[in-house]
Amino acid sequence: MVKAVRGVLVECEPAIKSILVHIDSTHHHEFIIDDLDETHLFVKETMLQVLKQKLEERLKETYRPEEPLEDSE
Amino acid sequence: MPPKRKAPSGQTSAAKAGRASAMSTPGPATPRSVDSSIMSDGDEDFDEDVSEAQREREELLSKEADEFVNKFTLGGKRLQGQKDDAGREVRRYDAASSFFRKRDFSHLPLKPDHQNRPLWIDPDNCTIVLERFNPLAEQATDFLITIAEPKSRPTFLHEYSLTPHSLYAAVSVGLRPRDIINTLERFLKTSLPDIVRKKIEEHTRSFGKVKLVLKHNRYFVESADAEVLQILLKDKVIGSLRVQGSSDITTSYAPTMGGLVIPGTQNAAGVRQADLKEGEKKSGEGGEVPNEADLFATLNEEDDDDDKEAVHAFEISDADVETVQKRCLDIGYPILEEYDFRNDDVNANLEIDLRPNTQIRPYQEKSLSKMFGNGRAKSGIIVLPCGAGKTLVGITAACTIKKGVIVLCTSSMSVVQWRQEFLKWSNINPDDIAIFTAESKQKFSGSTGIIVTTYSMVTNSRERSHDSKKMMDFLRGREWGLMLLDEVHVVPAEMFRRVISSIKSHSKLGLTATLLREDDKISHLNFLIGPKLYEANWMELSQQGHIAKVQCAEVWCPMPTEFYDEYLRANARMKRTLYAMNPRKFQACQYLINYHESRGDKIIVFSDELYSLKQYALKLKKVFIYGGTSQSERMTVLENFQHNPDVNTLFLSKIGDTSLDLPEATCLIQISSHFGSRRQEAQRLGRILRAKRRNDEGFNAFFYSLVSKDTQEMYYSSKRQAFLVDQGYAFKVITQLANIEKTPDLAFATPQECRELLQRTLVDNERGVEDEIETDDLFGKAGGGRGRGRGSGKKSGNGVRRTAGMLSELAGGQDMAYIEQNKAANKALKAKGKKGAAGAEGKSKFFKGIQREKEKARARTG
Repeated sequence: MVKAVRGVLVECEPAIKSILVHIDSTHHHEFIIDDLDETHLFVKETMLQVLKQKLEERLKETYRPEEPLEDSE
Repeated sequence: MPPKRKAPSGQTSAAKAGRASAMSTPGPATPRSVDSSIMSDGDEDFDEDVSEAQREREELLSKEADEFVNKFTLGGKRLQGQKDDAGREVRRYDAASSFFRKRDFSHLPLKPDHQNRPLWIDPDNCTIVLERFNPLAEQATDFLITIAEPKSRPTFLHEYSLTPHSLYAAVSVGLRPRDIINTLERFLKTSLPDIVRKKIEEHTRSFGKVKLVLKHNRYFVESADAEVLQILLKDKVIGSLRVQGSSDITTSYAPTMGGLVIPGTQNAAGVRQADLKEGEKKSGEGGEVPNEADLFATLNEEDDDDDKEAVHAFEISDADVETVQKRCLDIGYPILEEYDFRNDDVNANLEIDLRPNTQIRPYQEKSLSKMFGNGRAKSGIIVLPCGAGKTLVGITAACTIKKGVIVLCTSSMSVVQWRQEFLKWSNINPDDIAIFTAESKQKFSGSTGIIVTTYSMVTNSRERSHDSKKMMDFLRGREWGLMLLDEVHVVPAEMFRRVISSIKSHSKLGLTATLLREDDKISHLNFLIGPKLYEANWMELSQQGHIAKVQCAEVWCPMPTEFYDEYLRANARMKRTLYAMNPRKFQACQYLINYHESRGDKIIVFSDELYSLKQYALKLKKVFIYGGTSQSERMTVLENFQHNPDVNTLFLSKIGDTSLDLPEATCLIQISSHFGSRRQEAQRLGRILRAKRRNDEGFNAFFYSLVSKDTQEMYYSSKRQAFLVDQGYAFKVITQLANIEKTPDLAFATPQECRELLQRTLVDNERGVEDEIETDDLFGKAGGGRGRGRGSGKKSGNGVRRTAGMLSELAGGQDMAYIEQNKAANKALKAKGKKGAAGAEGKSKFFKGIQREKEKARARTG
C-alpha cells in the first residue's frame, strides 16, 4: 500500500544542513524524509517545529560553549 | 511622540509651552535658558495678538518639536526643571529611559559649563568615561591613568574604572584622597556623587599610609601619621613584633625627589646643572612634557611640600616582615614597600649608568617617574605594549638604583637577550653581569652585580646539581637592590611567593604587556609585587611611531560539508583539529602568504594545533618551529628567517607567543589558537609591533586571524579580540578573499583532495599522533613537558599496529591513496647550512608519535 507523508522543503546553508542531518541521525531519523542536495532537505511537516527548536539549541551550543575557559600556563 | 502630546506632565510641559510660545514659532525651538519670569511675560504679550485656537495649535506643534530636540540634547537647562517641591532631584522618565534601564543617570545635574569638562561618571560601578575630543582630555588622561584602571580606549571615548587597587596605586604615587576628589570634581560634568566620594575616601584612607622601609638594612614600619602607627603598635600581633630597645617612635624627614635624576631623561642628558634645586627641577619637568597637566604638576608640588612633613617609624626585625605585612593587610593598613636606595650605604654600589647616547622615550620616562616619584624606589608593575621597550625601562630602573640587581625572565633565551640589552644600553662591566641558567652558572666578580636568571631556575625545589645549589645559596644569602620581573603575567602566584620569599630584594619591578589572565589570579600580583604603576596607551604609542601600526582582520573560512559533518560528530579535541585543518582555511592561508610574500613582507604563521602546524608547513614548504624542534635547528631557522631573502614565512607553535624578538616580521597569520585567551592574542600581535620598518611612510603591519565559520572558533575569536578592541584596535571581517581561486597551485581545490585531506586528518589523529605537550619556552628543553597521563596512549602510538583491512585498500580501492610526503623545509635549510650536526636527534623528536616504520624510512632519507 502506498503511504503518503506530507513534507516541507527546507533550504539552508550547507553548514546548517549538516547540523540538521546530524540532529536527524541522533534522533532515529524521524525528521528528514529525503536529503536532496547540498542546500535542500525534505522534512516531515509534523516535525518541523521540533527540528527548528533543536537547531536553535544546537546553535546556542556552538557559540556559547558551556565549559569555562581556562588559561592555564 | 504622540503619547507625550496627549499626556504632558505638569511641570515640564508648562515650562516648555511657555517658552515655545514666547518665541512664537516652532522653528528655533532649541533649549535655551529662560527663567520663569521671562516666560510668563512672554505669555502675556502673546495673548494679546493671537487667537486662542491658533495659540493652542502652535503650542502643540512647538512643544512637539521642542521635545524632539530635547531628546537628543543633553542640555543642562532641560534638567533644571526636574526638582520636586522639596527641591530634591527626581528621576525623569521619557521615551528613551527604558533603553538605559538602571544606567540612566539623567538625574545627576550637569554643571552649567559641562561642555568644557571631559568626564562622565557612572556612580554605581565607579566607571568614568572620558571624552577624548575635549580640550582638557590630555590632562584628564594623565590624571585618570594615575587613579583608575583603563578599561577600554578606542579613539574618541575612553572608559576607566575606579577600583580599590587603582586607588591604592594612586596613593602609592603620592596622591591624597583630597587631591583625587578635588580633581575629579574639576573634570566631571556632573558633581561628584556622594557614593563615589565615599568609596574613594574609604579605599584611600588606609592604603599607602604605612610604608615598609629598608634602612641601613633594618626594616622600619613608617608612616606620616603617628596615629596610624599607634593603632598598629596597639595591635597585639604587630606590637609584640616591634624590636625592643627602639621603643620610641623615631621621627625623621621624608626625602624628596630632590636631586635624583633618572638617567636617560632630558634632565640627565641635556641641560643638567650641577646643583639642580628642587624647584627648578620641577619646573624643568613641566616644560619638558608640555602635554602634562599643569594641574598634575601642581599636585606633585603639593606632594613635595607634604613630604617635608615629619614621618614616624618603628623598627621590626627581618624575620617578622612577612607576618607584619600579612597582619597589616588584615587590619586594613596594607604596607607599601619603598626602598631608600640613595641612603643605603650597606649594600655596595654598582658601577652602572646608561650610555650617554641613550635617550629614553617620554612614556618610559613617565612610567619611571611613577616608580621613583619621591626619590625612593617603589615596588610595582609597569605595563607597556610588546615592543615598546620594556627592557629599557628595566635597565633604566637598574641604572637609577645602582645596586645589585636580579632579573627574572621566562626562558633561557630571554636571559641571553636581557644580558645583551644590558650591555647594549648601559656601560656595565661585562664581568659584573652574570647568567644563571641550566647551562651556565656564573657569578659576578665584584662585590655586587647583576644576575639574570629564569623563574624556574630559582623556584625549582627538586634535586639540584651541586653548582645550582651553591648558586642558589649565593642568591639567597645576599640582599638585592632591585628585582626585575619580566613578563609577570605568566607566572603563577605560588611561584612568585617562592621567589619573593627566597630572594630578598629591596624593591621589585614587574614588567608586562598584558596584565590579564582569563582566571582572576592577576589580582594577587598587587600584593606580591605591588600596584600597577603605569599603563601605556597602545594607540597613542603607535601614533607616535614607537610601535607599528597594525591592520587587524578576521577571515571567515566556510567549512566544506564533509568537514562540517565530521566536525559535528567529533569529540572536542578532534573538533579543534578539524577546524584548524579546514581546507578553505588552508587556501586562505596560502593566498595570504603568497600575497604578502610578493609585497616583501616577512610572515609569521601561528598555530596552536601541532598537527595542522606541521601539515601546513610541509604542504606549503615553509620552515617551522615547535616545542620539539631542537635548539640548534631553531637557531638555524630563526637566522634564516631574519637574513635569508628566500625564507619569508615561518610557522610557529605557541612557543613563539612571547619573548620572541623578530623585528623583521611584518605580517602575522593565525590559524589556530588557545580557546578564548585574550592574552595570547595580544602577545601574538606583539610579535609584529616592533617591526623594523614601522617608521616607513604609510607602513602597516598586518594581523590576520583565520576562523572556520559555524564552529566554536567564531565564539572564541570574538572573545579573544576583546582586549585588543579595548586598546583601540578595530578588526575587519573578511568573508571572501578576492580572486582566491586564481591562486596558482591552490591547495585542496578539488573536492577529491578535500576528502583525502579529511581522511588523512582523521586517520592520523586517531592514532594519537599529536600528543606532544608544548612548553611555553621557545628555547627551553623540549623533553620537559611530557605528561597528562598519556603514557599508555603513547606506547600504542609508537608500537606496531595490527589492523584488519582489505587487500584492495592497498591499491587505492577504499579511498586510500599514496601521498607524496613533502620534506620539511627546515631540513633544506640544514642541508644548506653547516649546522646540521644535531639533525638526527631533532628529527626523532619531531616524528615521535608517527608510526615507527615511517619514522625509520624518514630517518634514512634524512
